[in-house]
Amino acid sequence: MNERKSYPMYFVFGALILYVVLCVIPGVIGVGYSFTDWSSYSDTINFVGLDNFATVFSPEENYLRYLSNTMIFTVFTTFCKSIIGLALAVLLTKKIKGLNIHRAIMYMPAVLSTLIVGMIFKSILNPQSGLLNAFLRSAGLGSLALKWLTDSKIAFWSVMFVDIWKGIGYIMTIFIAGIMAISPVYYEAAEIDGATSWQRFKSITMPLLMPTVAVTTVLNVLYGLKVFDIVYALTNGGPGYATEVLYTGVYKEFSKGRYAVGTTLSSVMFIFMIIVGFFMIRMMTKEEVEE
Amino acid sequence: MKRFFMVVLAAAMLASSVACAQTTAATTKAAATDAATTDAATTKAAETEAEATEAVKQDITITYMVSQDWLQDAEIELGAKFAEETGIKVDYQVIPSDQYTNLLSTKINAGECADIYGSQGGQFDIVSQLNVVKNAVDLSGEAWSSTVDPLAAAELSVDGKLYGQPLGDLSSAWAIAYNTKIFAANNLEIPTTFAEFMAVCEAIKGVGITPVYECVSDGWHHVLWFPEMGAAFEAGEPGLIDNLNSNKTTFASSPVMKQSLDQIKEMVDNGYWGEDYMSNAYADAAKNFAGGEYAMVVANQGFGAEVEAVGGELKASDVGYFVIPLVDNQILNVNPVGPSRFIYSGSENIDAAKQYLAYIAQPENLQYLIDNVSKYNTLPFSGVQDKYSDIIKTFYSTYTEHGTVLQTTVKYVNPQWMEIGKEMTAMILGDESSDDVLKNIDKNRADQAAAAKDENWAG
Repeated sequence: MNERKSYPMYFVFGALILYVVLCVIPGVIGVGYSFTDWSSYSDTINFVGLDNFATVFSPEENYLRYLSNTMIFTVFTTFCKSIIGLALAVLLTKKIKGLNIHRAIMYMPAVLSTLIVGMIFKSILNPQSGLLNAFLRSAGLGSLALKWLTDSKIAFWSVMFVDIWKGIGYIMTIFIAGIMAISPVYYEAAEIDGATSWQRFKSITMPLLMPTVAVTTVLNVLYGLKVFDIVYALTNGGPGYATEVLYTGVYKEFSKGRYAVGTTLSSVMFIFMIIVGFFMIRMMTKEEVEE
Repeated sequence: MKRFFMVVLAAAMLASSVACAQTTAATTKAAATDAATTDAATTKAAETEAEATEAVKQDITITYMVSQDWLQDAEIELGAKFAEETGIKVDYQVIPSDQYTNLLSTKINAGECADIYGSQGGQFDIVSQLNVVKNAVDLSGEAWSSTVDPLAAAELSVDGKLYGQPLGDLSSAWAIAYNTKIFAANNLEIPTTFAEFMAVCEAIKGVGITPVYECVSDGWHHVLWFPEMGAAFEAGEPGLIDNLNSNKTTFASSPVMKQSLDQIKEMVDNGYWGEDYMSNAYADAAKNFAGGEYAMVVANQGFGAEVEAVGGELKASDVGYFVIPLVDNQILNVNPVGPSRFIYSGSENIDAAKQYLAYIAQPENLQYLIDNVSKYNTLPFSGVQDKYSDIIKTFYSTYTEHGTVLQTTVKYVNPQWMEIGKEMTAMILGDESSDDVLKNIDKNRADQAAAAKDENWAG
């Protein structure tokens, strides 16, 4: 490369300084506070070593449950959003009538505020007066009219369903962009060779879509790990602790004035997200096919 | 050419932002002129006293953050009149009750709270939880402060300084409101023991009516069954309250507390709370009660008026009350602590907020609240006329022994009200035992005590 045409290193300093000041330093300070007894009850902050981490990982506390809920949420919503999003993307890249309208309808939930979606679904899923149970009862399916958000056995699945409904459109749009970027030449050649639709999908679409799959998976996983708003809006972690996730836990610790425990939970999640994100990107980009 | 367009575009952006600023300034100026004109017109027609009021008219909006059940329509109407008289508008920020405590604590801890905020009082909690000395304004100098009921004032004061203004009726006890018609039709008497209460529930269930209306999703209401029994706990285990406060005993080691939780679970397991207790809301309690679908609900003594206000056949005089008979309780539970208004010390509108509190505390406005909020029978201020009905007077006179509730007498209970709610929900759903609930309450108390550096928990 011609060195005179490349930008000098100091061009990056402005952005780097902003990034360090606004993101890195607060992050590091946050991790630092995990080792203290910082709380709203006292003006002094003392070093307490790994006490907060012992609290977070103690089996007597609920935090491990929050952690496992977060993992279940992440894995399940990522899987469903990817599969359904991909299926919809494949459908909506075909030549069908009203294509853009279909795409817009599918994308619409993604532009709605999560809190509004939460309030709407809280009403729809109300066991007595909700639209869903009213429909089920009127269709003679009263036995399927469940307590969607108040039964501890199914509340978390209801929350995940709403999140999947909201998030599919966004993932679908990314997949559509990925599929549109695949040259039609491959499909024409495969058709001439007599390949079926499934073979074309399996041998052309999927391999060439792997970089997009990597991106959507990372986005879904990182979103899932830091989920907060949809849980807060729909159940606020209830009934009991059935739908608590890590970030609702952080929020509640902070509201109780136990800042140090809150930052500890946040730090644990931060480190976990870095590790997961790093390995996922490495794993998923290893088998990418260059077009 | 491209560069030319960029320059033109940048100039246009700059011009438009300047224009916007000018428009805003112009609008403000126009509004100010209008206001001035209106003021002048009003002043001419008004008496000297009104002139003085006009002189302090301000274009300020104060924010008031409050839990949904604590703000009444009548107060909003008073707020509108207050705005007319002073020019100070009140922006009511009403928060769902299950989210309120967390949100308030977060806002206070983050240093960005509303000008006025609602919170429970309590001499222990306003120090350990709200830290009112730091986060609230001293209201001792306000003219209305001397009119607050002394018992209520004591629960809102630190070192003799008053920090809050009670916002609701504190005279009411959380008791079981019952439909006298259903009781009469089924020859049922007021139960005096838990066994009798269960028999009453069974009889009501037998005629196809849900015995108890409960609303767990609100997060706070179902908790009442437990701490409101404070006096009964003390009667069952004398010295319990003092020992809890001095950390000589724990909730988990109290048989009477465990018994009360087990009895709650028994009620639910027997189906006496019906099918929809997890999704019901307290806001719908009067409507559902008036519809005759439920026979009883834990409520205060304004509930009868609320039921009558629904407009059904049931009148306020058809709603009777008896104390919650868990652990065979027959002591009337009283509580001088309730939701109150506090002015945030970091507010930029402290004077305006003080004016709002002073306005609400004017005797005619307090009376307006009592007369127009169906669940209020009185307010804890001198110079107001109560509206107790005969059935309420009968209820109060039935129980000669009175005792204070647990959340007021025992430290570090009230701040974890919503947490207790979660624990009790987990117990009701079978995810936890009553022992777990009590242990977790102890743990939360210890956490708060440690954070507050309470000497009794040291070491």
